[in-house]
Amino acid sequence: MSAHPPSPEAIVDPTATLTSVTETVSGPILHPPWPRLWLAGFAGAFVVTLGLFAAIGWLFIRGVGIWGINIPVAWGFAIVNFVWWIGIGHAGTFISAILLLLHQTWRTSINRFTEAMTLFAVACAALYPVLHLGRPIYAYWLLPYPDTMGLWPQFRSPLVWDVFAVSTYATVSLVYWYVGLLPDLATMRDRAASTVGRRGYGILALGWRGDARHWAHHEKLYLILAGLATPLVVSVHSIVGMDFAIAILPGWHSTIFPPYFVGGAIFSGFAMVLTLVIPVRALFRMEGLITLRHLELMALVVLTTGWIVTYGYFSEFFTAWWSGDEFERFVQANRALGPYAPAFWLMLTCNVLIPNLFWSRRLRRSVPVLFGVAILVNVGMWLERFVIVVTSLHRDFVPSSWGMYIPTFWDWSTFIGTIGFFLALLFLFLRLLPAISMSEMRGLVIKAKESGE
Amino acid sequence: MPPLTSLPARSPEFAEGADVWPPDLDRRGFLGLMGASLALGGLAGCRAAKTLVPYTHQPDSVVPGLPSFYASACPCEGFARGILVEAHEGRPTKIEGNPRHAESGGAADAVTQAAILALYDPDRSQAPLHQGRPASWPEFESAWREEDRRLAPVGGAGLALLTEPTTSPTVRAGLHRLLDRFPRARWFQHTALARYDAEGFQPDYDLAEADVILAIEGGFLDRHPAALRYTRAFAGRRRVEKGAVRANRLYALESAWSLAGAMADRRLAAPPARLPAILNAVATAWSREPLPETLDREERAFVTALTADLRRPGRKVLCIAGDEQPAAIRRWAQRLNQVLGAVGKTIRYRAAVRSDGDPRSAGDLGALADAIARGEISALAILGANPVYTGPADVEFAARLARVPFTLHLGGYADETAAAVRWHLPESHFLEAWSDLRGYDGSAVIQQPLIDPLYDTRSLGEVLRLLAGDPPLSGYDLVRATWRARLGADDFDGHWTRWLNAGVVDGENTPTANPEPAEAEEPVPYLDPEPAAALTLVLRPDPWLGDGRHANNGWLQELPRPFTALVWDNALLISPQLGREQRLENGDLVRVECEGRVVEAPVWLVPGQAEGCAVAHWGGGRTRAGAVGSGRGFDAFRLQSRSGRARGLKLTATGRKTRLASTQHQFAMDGRDPVQTFALRDLGRLRPEQPAISLYPARARDTYAWGMSIDLSTCIGCSACVAACQAENNIPVVGKEQVLRGRVMHWIRVDTYFAGEPGAERCHSQPVPCMQCENAPCELVCPVGATVHSSEGLNEMVYNRCVGTRYCSNNCPYKVRRFNFFDFRAAADSILHLQDNPEVTVRQRGVMEKCTYCVQRINRARSEAERDNRPIRDGEIRTACQQACPAEAIVFGNVADPASAVAQRKAEPSSYSLLAELNTRPRTTYLAKMINPA
Repeated sequence: MSAHPPSPEAIVDPTATLTSVTETVSGPILHPPWPRLWLAGFAGAFVVTLGLFAAIGWLFIRGVGIWGINIPVAWGFAIVNFVWWIGIGHAGTFISAILLLLHQTWRTSINRFTEAMTLFAVACAALYPVLHLGRPIYAYWLLPYPDTMGLWPQFRSPLVWDVFAVSTYATVSLVYWYVGLLPDLATMRDRAASTVGRRGYGILALGWRGDARHWAHHEKLYLILAGLATPLVVSVHSIVGMDFAIAILPGWHSTIFPPYFVGGAIFSGFAMVLTLVIPVRALFRMEGLITLRHLELMALVVLTTGWIVTYGYFSEFFTAWWSGDEFERFVQANRALGPYAPAFWLMLTCNVLIPNLFWSRRLRRSVPVLFGVAILVNVGMWLERFVIVVTSLHRDFVPSSWGMYIPTFWDWSTFIGTIGFFLALLFLFLRLLPAISMSEMRGLVIKAKESGE
Repeated sequence: MPPLTSLPARSPEFAEGADVWPPDLDRRGFLGLMGASLALGGLAGCRAAKTLVPYTHQPDSVVPGLPSFYASACPCEGFARGILVEAHEGRPTKIEGNPRHAESGGAADAVTQAAILALYDPDRSQAPLHQGRPASWPEFESAWREEDRRLAPVGGAGLALLTEPTTSPTVRAGLHRLLDRFPRARWFQHTALARYDAEGFQPDYDLAEADVILAIEGGFLDRHPAALRYTRAFAGRRRVEKGAVRANRLYALESAWSLAGAMADRRLAAPPARLPAILNAVATAWSREPLPETLDREERAFVTALTADLRRPGRKVLCIAGDEQPAAIRRWAQRLNQVLGAVGKTIRYRAAVRSDGDPRSAGDLGALADAIARGEISALAILGANPVYTGPADVEFAARLARVPFTLHLGGYADETAAAVRWHLPESHFLEAWSDLRGYDGSAVIQQPLIDPLYDTRSLGEVLRLLAGDPPLSGYDLVRATWRARLGADDFDGHWTRWLNAGVVDGENTPTANPEPAEAEEPVPYLDPEPAAALTLVLRPDPWLGDGRHANNGWLQELPRPFTALVWDNALLISPQLGREQRLENGDLVRVECEGRVVEAPVWLVPGQAEGCAVAHWGGGRTRAGAVGSGRGFDAFRLQSRSGRARGLKLTATGRKTRLASTQHQFAMDGRDPVQTFALRDLGRLRPEQPAISLYPARARDTYAWGMSIDLSTCIGCSACVAACQAENNIPVVGKEQVLRGRVMHWIRVDTYFAGEPGAERCHSQPVPCMQCENAPCELVCPVGATVHSSEGLNEMVYNRCVGTRYCSNNCPYKVRRFNFFDFRAAADSILHLQDNPEVTVRQRGVMEKCTYCVQRINRARSEAERDNRPIRDGEIRTACQQACPAEAIVFGNVADPASAVAQRKAEPSSYSLLAELNTRPRTTYLAKMINPA
C-alpha cells in the first residue's frame, strides 16, 4: 500500500469545520427522533438475536447433537463461523493500529467504527468455541488456573494457544477502543441534554477534562497500545491457522496456514468494513467524513489481500501435488470434484475472480459495485473456512470412515443468530456512541485548514 | 426440523390399547375405579420393608465387586450354544462362550451375546393376555380346565400343538407326555429357518481336515448351528504361523455374498437359476467330457479350476451345500462327497438331533393350515413360534387362525401371533428358566437360569406340564427328572453338579450314523436345468434377526450387516449391474412382485452379487415386535410361498426414495491399502515392515506394553467382536436417525471392502478398534489432557476431564473415536441398566470415548497377579473382542515380552500397521490376508 494517497482527493470535506464535525457525529445521537430505518434495523437484528438465544438454549438442553456434526466431521459450522468472525475482527485493529503507526491519516474517519466492528465480531467469534464444546460448563478448564488437583491445560494443544490469543486480542482491542473514545465521551457528556446522558457519558468519560496533561498521557498511551495491538493482528489469526496446521489431517497439515490465514482475515475484515460503512454513511449522511476516497483505499486493500489469498490457494494445491502424497492430492481433488465442489468453486469465484474488478478505477469508485463485491468476498471467505474444515474431515485416510456433513436447522440458526447479534450490537453502538472519532477529525480539519491557508 | 432423537419412547403410559375406552365402563364405574386407585395409591406407601433385608451372612459364592460365571446354554435355532454368563451380585450382565462346550469353544456369536439385552427388554411380555387384555395364570388355568373337560373324553381330537423344532430332551418328553394324554391330538412343527436333517441325518463337516472345499450357497460360517466350531476349524487352515500355513482352498459358488464367499480363494457369483447348469458341468468335467457350450467364460474357468483341484491326488475334499438349498442340490452335494470319498474323512453324518423328523410330529405349518381349513382343529396351542409373522404368505395363517375357537400362544413377546389368539402366555427368557438343549454335535447342556423370572412368566416345559394336566412341577425338578431317568445310576447329584459346573453333560453325544446309500451308476445325479429366469428372488434369514425373532434387540438392529453395513432396516439387495439397468440407486423404493405377491422395498446395491437375483432378508416389517423392532424395514415373508420357489421376480421403480442407514459409505479402497493381501505362493517373499524412523527417542517401555494383532487371513467378518465390545463396555444404542447422521457408537467396527474387477470381486473384512498409537495424534491436540498415554502404552481416555472439543477425533487418522453427541444413556430408572458392566463407566453427554483394550480386564488381572506376587501371565487377559472371536483372529498381550503370543504374531512377516507412513506407531497391527489361488 502506498504511503501517499493514490488520488489527490481530500480525505476531509473541505467545507467541514470543527463545529460541523462535532454536530455531524454527535447530532444524530443526541437529538431524537431516531431514524425509522435505525428502529427497523435494530428491531430486526434484535429478533434474530433472540433466535440466537433460543438456539443456544436448545443447545444447552439437548447437546451438540442438534447440529449436523458427526464422526468423521466432528467440527462444523461452529468452527467455520468462529474462524470467519475472528477474521472479520482483524480489519479494525489493522486499520486503527497499523495504519496509525504508518501515518495513514485517512484511517481517522473509519477507525472508531471498525474497532467497534472488531469487538463485536470477536464477541460473536468467542461464543463458538464455548458453544461447540460437548460440556460447555467446563470451558474454564482451558484456562491455567490453580486447582487443588494440580491440573493444567495441555499446552501442546493449539486450542489452548487459541484461548490466549483470542482473549488477549479481545482485551487489547477493547482497551484501545475505549482509550480512543475517552475525549469523545467527554464531548458527549458536555453536549448531552438529559441527566441520564450526562451521568452516563460522564461516568464513562472517567473525568476527562481536556487538560493538556490528559492529552499528553492519552496520546502516549494510544501509541503504546497501537504498538501492542499490531503484533496481535498477526498473532491471532496465525494461531487460528495453527489450530488446523498442527493436525496431521491432509488439508489442514500445511505450513502456509498462518500467513495465509492472516491475509485472508484482513481480506474478509476489509470486505466487512465496506459492507457496513457503505450503508452507514448513507444512513447518517456522513459522506463528508467517509469519502469515496476511503472506500477506494479499502478496495485496494481488498484487492491486495485477495491476491495473498489466491497465492495461498495456489500454494496449497502446488504443495499437495509436489509432495506426491496420495492423501494430500486426494483432498485437493476431492475439494474440486467431490460432493462439496460447488462450495469450492463458489469460493474461488468470490475470492479469486471477483476482487479483480477493483483493478478498474471506475469500478472501485462505484458504490454499488463496492458493496456487491464486499458482500461476495464475505460469502467467499465463509466458504473458504467451510471448505477447509469440512472437506478435509469428511474424507480422510481410511475410506471406510468417510462421511458427509449436512448442516441442520440449528447450525443455520446459530450462524444467522450471531449475524443478528453482531448487527444488534452495531446498531446500539451507532445509537449510543460517536461512530467517528470527533477529536481526531477535529485535528484533521485543523490540519487541513492550516495546510490550505 | 428433523426429529430430535429416534430413541423410542418406552413409557408404559402409551401401552398398546391404553387409549381405548373400555365399552362397559360407565361414569359410576369410572369414579369407583378412580377412588379405589387413589386409595390403593396411598396404601403403596405401606409396603412392608421385609424384602429389604441385607446380607447378614454373605453367601459363600458372592464376593461383592467380583463377577461370578455360570455355565448355561443359549438356544440357536433350537440347538445349544454352550455359554458362560457373567453375573454381578446376582445380576447377569454378559454372555460369553463356554470353552468346554464343543459348539462354542469359548467363542460366542453376535446373536448369542445380544440375548442378554433381550432379558432386560422392557417390551417383553410380562403377564398373560386374554383377548388382548391383561389376565392372570389362574384365569388361564381355569379356562384350560374347561377346554380340557371338552378334549379329554375324545382323546384330544381337534387339539393341535404348534412348536418350533427343539433339541431339548425335557421339552420333547413333555410334548410326548402331552400327546400320550391326548392320543388324538396332533403336533405340528414350524420354523422359517433351515432344516439340517433334510435327508434324515445331519451332515457334519471336518473343516480342519478338508484341503479343497466347494461351498454351494454355503452358509457354514454364518448362521449354522455349528458355525462357531466350523469357523475355528476353518481358521486353523488359514492362519500363517511362523511363516508357514497348511492352507486349504475354498471355492464358493453363490448368488449373494456369504461369509464363506468372502473367504473364498475363488468365487463365482451365479444366480440360483444357473446353479444346476454349473453343477452339471462340474460332473461333466469330472468325467473328463467336454464342457457344454452354454457356460460363459467365468463359469467355464471356475469349473475347470475346481475339477482340476478336486482331481489332484492326496487332497481331502469336501462339498458343502447351503442348508436352504433345494433337496436336489443337497443330494447332489451328498453324492459328490461320496464319489470323492469325503464321507468319513471330511464329512460325517449324525442322527438328527433336532425334533424336525420326530415320528410323532404331524407335519409343518402348511399341514396345520390345511387341517384348520378342513375344520379339523378346534383348539390350537402355539408354543414358542410366531407363525402369523413367519408363515409363508400363501398359507394365510392369520386368516386360518381366526377359524379356530380356542387358541393360545406362549411366547416371550406379545407379538403378531399373540394378537391373533385368545390366550397369550408370557414365556420366560432362557436365562430365567431351567431346561436342557443339545448342540449340533448332539452334546447335551443343562440350561441353567441366572436369575428368577423378572415377570410372571413360565418356561415351555412348565406350560407343557400344565397343558397335560399334571400336577405342577418346577422347571428345575422337570429337568432333573429327565436326566435322573436318563442316567439311571446313583450319585445323580454328583453328576448333576459336575454338569452344571462344566456346562456340558458328559458322555452325551449322538453317534455318527452311516447312511451310505448303495453306489449308483451315475457319479452324481443330473440336475434338471432351471428355466432361464430374468430375475430370481432369494429369501434368506436376516444375519442377526433370523426370522425376525430378535427384531426388538437394539444391539442387533444397530449391528452393521455384513456386506452392506445396513442397520435398522432390511433392503432388497441387488447387483450394481442390475441397478444400472433399472436405474436404481441405494434407497430407491421398488414394487417387488413375485408370483402375484407384492411388497414395496428399498433397494441396496451390493458389488459381487450375481446379476440375476435379488436378495431379501426376513426379520423386517414386524408390526408387534416392540418399541425397537416394530416398523423396521419390509416384511419379506409376504414374498414367501409354501413351495419356497420364487421365480418371475419383477421390480418396478416407484420413483420414491427412503433413507437407509448404513455405517459405511465407501466400500472401495480407492487406491489405498487398508487391507493388505498376499498370495500364498508369495509367502516366502514377504519382508517384515521396517519401523519408521523418528528424530525423537523411542518411548521407554514398562514391564508391560499392551498390544494387539488382528489376523485378516482368519477374520471372517462375523461381527461377534462388535457385539462383545458393546456388551462389555456399556456402549449405547443410538437409533436409526443418529446412525444416518454418522454417530454410531461402536468402539470396534468391521470395515468391508470390495476389491477387484466386476465379476471377480473379493470382499475383505477388517476389524478396526483403537490403534493405541505410541505417537498418538489425539493426545497432542487435547487442550485439557483428557486423553493421555499410560506407561504401559495405552492411549487412555479420561471421561471426567473431557470437555468435548472433539479435536482428538478430527486428528485420529483411523476415526475410531466416538462422541456422545446426545445423552445416549438409558433413562435413570430403566431396567436396561441392569445389563451395565459395573466395571466400566457409563459415559455422559458431551464426552469422547473409544476402545480401551478392555482396561478393566487388564486391571482385574493386574490386581490378581499382584495379590499372588507374580507377573501377569501371557493369555491371562483376553479382551472382549478377542474372547468372542470364533476364528481366534484377535490376539492381545504384552508386546514387551518376546515370548508372548502377540509378540510372536507381530513377528510374522505378514504383519503390518495401518497407515504406517504416518509414524503413529500403532500397537494394534494386522496380519495381511492370505489368499490361496490355484
